[in-house]
Amino acid sequence: MSFFARSFSRRKADLDEEIQAHLQMDIQERQDRGQSAKQARAAAMREFGNVPLIEDVTRGTWGSLWLERIGHDLRYVFRQLTRSPIFAITVTATLALGLGATAAMFTVVDRVLLRPLPYRDAHQLVEIKESGKRGTVSFGTPFLDLQQWRQRSHSLKEIAFYSWNKHVSFLDGKTGSTQVNAPQVSANLFALLGVHPAMGRNFESQSDGSALSGEAHTLILSDPVWRTIYGADPNVLNKAVKLNGESYIVIGVMPRGFAFPLNGAAPLVWLPTIIGDKDTVHTRNITPNYQVIARLNPNVTLRTAESELRAIQPDVAKEYADPYDRDLVTSIQLQRYEDSLVETDLRKALLALFGASAVLWLIACVNSTSLMLARATAKQREIAVRGALGASRWRIVQQFAAEGLLVSAIASALGLGLATLMIKFFEHGLTSQFHIHEKLTANTSVIGMLVALTVVSALLCSIWPAIVAAKAPIESGLRQGGPQSSSGAAQYRTRASLVVIQIAMSLVLLVGCGLLLRTIYALRHVTLGFRTDHIIIANMTIPAYKFAGQNMTTELYQPLVDRVNHMPGVQAAVLMNAVPLENTFKLQFTFGVAGTSAADVRRRDLVAQFRAVGPEMQRVFAFRMLKGRFFNEGDTASTQAVAVVNRAFVKAYFDGDEPPEKILGENLFSFSNDKRAVVIGVLDDERQVSIAKQSQPEIEVAIPQITPGTGFYKGAEGMAMDLAVRTDRSPSSIVPEMREMLRHASPELSDSTFTTMDQVVEDSYGSQQLAARLLIVFGGSALLVCITGIYGLLAYLVAHRTKELGLRIALGARRGDVMWLVLRQAGWMLLSGSTLGLVLAYVTSLLLRTFLYNITAHDPWTMAAVTLLLVGGGLAVSCVPARRAATVDPMEALRTE
Amino acid sequence: MIGRNRYKNRIELLQGTLDMLILQTLQWGPHHGYGIVQALRGNSGDVLQIETGSLYPALHRLERQSWVRSEWKQTESNQCAKYYRITAAGKKQLASDLSRWQQMVDIIGAVMHRTPEGEEA
Repeated sequence: MSFFARSFSRRKADLDEEIQAHLQMDIQERQDRGQSAKQARAAAMREFGNVPLIEDVTRGTWGSLWLERIGHDLRYVFRQLTRSPIFAITVTATLALGLGATAAMFTVVDRVLLRPLPYRDAHQLVEIKESGKRGTVSFGTPFLDLQQWRQRSHSLKEIAFYSWNKHVSFLDGKTGSTQVNAPQVSANLFALLGVHPAMGRNFESQSDGSALSGEAHTLILSDPVWRTIYGADPNVLNKAVKLNGESYIVIGVMPRGFAFPLNGAAPLVWLPTIIGDKDTVHTRNITPNYQVIARLNPNVTLRTAESELRAIQPDVAKEYADPYDRDLVTSIQLQRYEDSLVETDLRKALLALFGASAVLWLIACVNSTSLMLARATAKQREIAVRGALGASRWRIVQQFAAEGLLVSAIASALGLGLATLMIKFFEHGLTSQFHIHEKLTANTSVIGMLVALTVVSALLCSIWPAIVAAKAPIESGLRQGGPQSSSGAAQYRTRASLVVIQIAMSLVLLVGCGLLLRTIYALRHVTLGFRTDHIIIANMTIPAYKFAGQNMTTELYQPLVDRVNHMPGVQAAVLMNAVPLENTFKLQFTFGVAGTSAADVRRRDLVAQFRAVGPEMQRVFAFRMLKGRFFNEGDTASTQAVAVVNRAFVKAYFDGDEPPEKILGENLFSFSNDKRAVVIGVLDDERQVSIAKQSQPEIEVAIPQITPGTGFYKGAEGMAMDLAVRTDRSPSSIVPEMREMLRHASPELSDSTFTTMDQVVEDSYGSQQLAARLLIVFGGSALLVCITGIYGLLAYLVAHRTKELGLRIALGARRGDVMWLVLRQAGWMLLSGSTLGLVLAYVTSLLLRTFLYNITAHDPWTMAAVTLLLVGGGLAVSCVPARRAATVDPMEALRTE
Repeated sequence: MIGRNRYKNRIELLQGTLDMLILQTLQWGPHHGYGIVQALRGNSGDVLQIETGSLYPALHRLERQSWVRSEWKQTESNQCAKYYRITAAGKKQLASDLSRWQQMVDIIGAVMHRTPEGEEA
């Protein structure tokens, strides 16, 4: 800009010189012809004409005049703004709040919902799931079923599949082993996604999409793994690497930016899926299940494909021998792959929060419009003078637009800073709630959106005042005494309706905020059923391959827990699959085919949480036993196999409120062929899945009783284990010691993540917490903006009617009446704003439903309380101008002209 | 009275012909603004008086179109002045302007000199 300005002024000087030269030559010639110097000069000037005008017109041909004008306008506007700093600060701060909030939320929306997938024509990719009596089957589809779809469907171009047992694998590199995710993919998956290895080759595919059996020990690396573990070694192809202790040959490296599945945190490598004998049958717990992804043929819609597959599905279901299993897969659910990445609830929640930030932005814009409007009136005389001097209306509108632009540009720069702060402040909540694994920063699309919003804000808050100002007749504006009373009244009405709109929108945000605060309050007062204080948790990923052929219970777990129990300051330590409320790892228990009695058939619908726990658990979590006993040191691999269930399980098992002791002694399942487990105790209900969810049926078994011969050995011991420790020591003092102890047990365990039980509880209502905090920020800002809006308008009203008020007082009006006059205005605005707001809130609070707990979206108490807050706040600030009105000195007021 | 007569003796420039006249004048060599005015006046027998209010915008417009180029030079009387020089593109433009102009003159001439048919009969 400064360079431009310099070159511009040089050109101007150039032109001036050119014209002066012209005049000089003319004068010279006239003098040569015998005129006196004075005469010659006058004649030359006369003949030349209006020098500044000619210069102006000439500059007009340069084509950059508009730039010069904008430069002028901006400089002028800047001077004007520095002359009224309160106005400038109010408008800028208001807009910065709105823009900042919106930019911060958009950063999340952009990352979660608008992220382009790294696949070719990603909109054609769909995820296929079977569904039936128990809803959508989430754990996958057998190979037999998807083969039928492949053979019979015409709307699908290609079907691929993969399985992803979410536990982590260990890949050996130069510097020890690293945790990776190793999904097994069908050989045609990458081709279906339209991405080819950047180096090396793809898995060799058979016609059914699976890999050749010769490929069993090959793997493909992702770009991050290739770079970090193998130092971007160009000769990595055909090298042997160790994954979970087994040897694999690297056959390819995928390009940078590619990932599949997309929602994992750890770096990826891919193994081929080999179809085996187990894939040729439908046997529960034996037949592998696969996640299915397909590409639609061009011009085929999702619905067409879905109805085609639904038509095929009855034949697929017929292949299931077990009638119960058949009923679970009678239909098909098709979803775009990109939509499947974000759960519907999460998407709604995010959009609701984004909407809230947008409302705050709108409030800010409306407030700025109102302020600008007031300013336009104040400047009416000046504008009239400029109009009289020949400024066109367009020119005046331009100047207002420049003012709007300057203000919102400054505001958006501030807003960007604010957004960064907000993201930093809410980072933990945002990234954990919306499953974001990368760092959250404003990227180019966020900046683009911010620039667009800035321009829109500028237009919204400056164009209307500009048009009003430009349309005002010049002559009346020039007349002494400023704006006419009629236009002042019209302007007051306009600004009053803007304030009403602000009140309404603020109320919407405040209602949302109120509902969430009630929810948080309710959640904090839920009886969990166990203690959460002074518990430190290590979340471990188990390198099970290292213990192949050994008994992990005796080799790893028992010695580890014994050693931790003997650490100073530790009251009790326990191992369990997953602590309550932590949903990182889940085992489910269902009854197999048992009998044909009504109870047996009903029990097949029962899905229970399954947990392997240590006998010390009661000492750590202090939960209550309802009946019977909990595990103790006497329960070992050589004694009677036992199990503990909870009250919810008893209820589901007997289908009614039977006394809990009735289940004691029942044989529910077996550890192995000759070992049936007997129920020895019933736990009281506890919130083990989520605070907002009632207790779910649960079965627990004792870790010391599990041996490699146990049917669920691998699931219960080989994947994930939490170490929970009750201690009075602070986390910072005990965590390093615990980490050392874990390293001692097995080096991979030193990567465990540590947390506290209180933190787990906090995180489990994290989405409500996050929404509540965001809405407090948005709602609080809205309240502030809206109250300043009310104050500003009433102050304006009082200032403009000082004379009238003085007259009223002089004629005998009581001060109370005058105060009432002003307060009535405030009351009127607050009342209509609140009414409008409540109507809006009635609709919009439904968007928050997914967040709410123990409260309806239309809770009358919340609505009333929030309205009261807003009205009270509004009236309180109105008292200031009202008092000022009441204390008007009639003599002073009448004297002011 | 004199002024008025002088004014009457001048011919208002036809719209769009100024550019052509300037380019034509520059055909004979580089000129400054004042020189162009003088040259046109001289060549038209003192009838054509170019308004400086049109001349300078026109010169700058022509420069923007790259039909002329300008540079600062000394005049014979040691005055520093901005000289305009026609470019190749300007010459082409002049040729096309000229042919259009010629066409227009022919057409208007044909219309104006045509004897009304009714009278001839």
